[in-house]
Amino acid sequence: MTKPTTKPTESREIILDVLMEILEKGGYSHVILRQALEKYQYLEKSDRAFITRVVEGTIEYRLTIDAILDQCSKVSVAKMKPVIRTILRMSVYQILWMDRIPDSAVCNEAVNLTIHRHFQGLKGFVNGVLRTIVRQKDSFTFTDWSRRYSMPDWLIELWKRQYPAAVVESMLQAFLEDIPTTVRCNLDKASMEEISDSLERQGVEVTVSPLAPHALLLEHYDYLDGLEAFQKGWIQVQDVSSGFASEVANPRAGDQILDVCGAPGGKSLHLADKLKGTGLVVVRDLTEAKIRLVEDNLERTGFTNLRAEVWDAREFDPAWEEKADIVMADLPCSGFGIIGKKPDIKYQASPEKLQELVKLQQEILTVASRYVKPGGKLIYSTCTIDRMENEDQRSWFLEHFPFESSSLTGLLGESISEETLEDGYVQLIPGRYPCDGFFIAAFQKHKD
Amino acid sequence: MAIRQVRTIGDDILTKECKRVKEITPRVQELIEDMFETMYETNGVGLAAPQVGVLKQIVVMDVDDGNQYVLINPEIIETSGSQTGPEGCLSVPGKSGTVTRPNHVKVRAFDENMEEYELEGEELLARCICHECAHLHGQLFVDLVEGDLMDVNAEEEE
Repeated sequence: MTKPTTKPTESREIILDVLMEILEKGGYSHVILRQALEKYQYLEKSDRAFITRVVEGTIEYRLTIDAILDQCSKVSVAKMKPVIRTILRMSVYQILWMDRIPDSAVCNEAVNLTIHRHFQGLKGFVNGVLRTIVRQKDSFTFTDWSRRYSMPDWLIELWKRQYPAAVVESMLQAFLEDIPTTVRCNLDKASMEEISDSLERQGVEVTVSPLAPHALLLEHYDYLDGLEAFQKGWIQVQDVSSGFASEVANPRAGDQILDVCGAPGGKSLHLADKLKGTGLVVVRDLTEAKIRLVEDNLERTGFTNLRAEVWDAREFDPAWEEKADIVMADLPCSGFGIIGKKPDIKYQASPEKLQELVKLQQEILTVASRYVKPGGKLIYSTCTIDRMENEDQRSWFLEHFPFESSSLTGLLGESISEETLEDGYVQLIPGRYPCDGFFIAAFQKHKD
Repeated sequence: MAIRQVRTIGDDILTKECKRVKEITPRVQELIEDMFETMYETNGVGLAAPQVGVLKQIVVMDVDDGNQYVLINPEIIETSGSQTGPEGCLSVPGKSGTVTRPNHVKVRAFDENMEEYELEGEELLARCICHECAHLHGQLFVDLVEGDLMDVNAEEEE
């Protein structure tokens, strides 16, 4: 009988399984990771943090990691068996980006994992490649942006056509930085002080966002659902940039608001909060599952002036024709602005998908424009930095529909100063502001 | 002392019933020594005589517990519990599979001086006893594998 091996630690087994699902089977990283953390709730907080860090880091740096592996392995990454490829990738991440874990421990755990997954014969290969990387760890520098910032070439080329090179590079850097979770406080429910106190009692590190007084940045928390402030509906996960869309909407008491693609409801809840119990916000989205997310949030927060409905935004609903004071159109987009948080976006995007998104956005905007009352507003927003979906889409809209741009000056607080605010739109760029990449354009329908 | 050639799956000898050992001859002593050497050289924890082409009921084992065990004419007399885990065999190179075995095994056998003794093992030793004794009756672990036999080449097969 051949020699068996020591069992690898459970957290590394979990990391391997989660990464296989994401990198080899194309699962969404935040979904798969969340499922795993829910399943293994009994793990220590430190283990859970370790799992999250290694999974997110490995995905984020995948292109850089693969370039390093290709330099140090006789078998190219593309030709490796998926399990071996995944073990090597997660180990390289730990060796190069997690200083507190001894390199020898990473190598040993990788070998244990290799054997435990029935690839006994490959333990020498895994060990050899990793030890080579450990020896050369200070010598890996890449001059090209794709391998240095782990970003597909075509995206870099696309952005270079849309932005100055220095802006592109600072975005690439910003995507790789650690990003705290931003939550918006429902001031209707509790004061900022009450909320901060509650969070700090539970060991969360809290800072007030420099961009918005009602937003908090949370770090070092274990499990969001376990926080009292979350359970009581005092806080809502939402980047400040997305909170801006509701600020821009700036509703008055009694307004009728239609959010055409609103799940999970962050902006609508914010608007309902701003309406202080008056008026009505209707949130729509395509599927039951998405609407259920809104309902979960609604139940937790208890707003009575908010309703959630399943409705395909591409389909015109005569019941709302020229009825809305405000239409919120936060539309499906490439998501490039949140690559820092959901790194798999950069690998799953393609030029074809971008074209389809542009068409879909136009289709939805065409329908949404008809819901706006004369004199009412339409707020278009995306969480991307792609000009085709943003500035170009705005120009297209102004050209084809009876709307004019509605100035954003003074609506976004003092820390955002962009010349375009006056013209009714703003592109927030990661690296320039401490928030997601986000685009907002406000339009007002002609009164006659 | 010599390293002997390990027979691999497909070789008929691995499917045959082995004969009981009647006495310790110099040839048998040499066989036992060679079996240990072959086992260590190939990074094994256990080896049965048919694996080196000899149809005798002899097993050698070293599971890193500080002992070298020799089992001659072994009979498993008690088993209990269960363990499920990866297992590999020197006669099935480059493959591994999940096998369920008893977690506790008691075996009666003769040692290299032909003195009868009983050996009790848990976990790895229990697994090894079962795996090696099965060789003496022409059985390989591959028939017990749950799921797929996994193979271990560096490149993905096309």
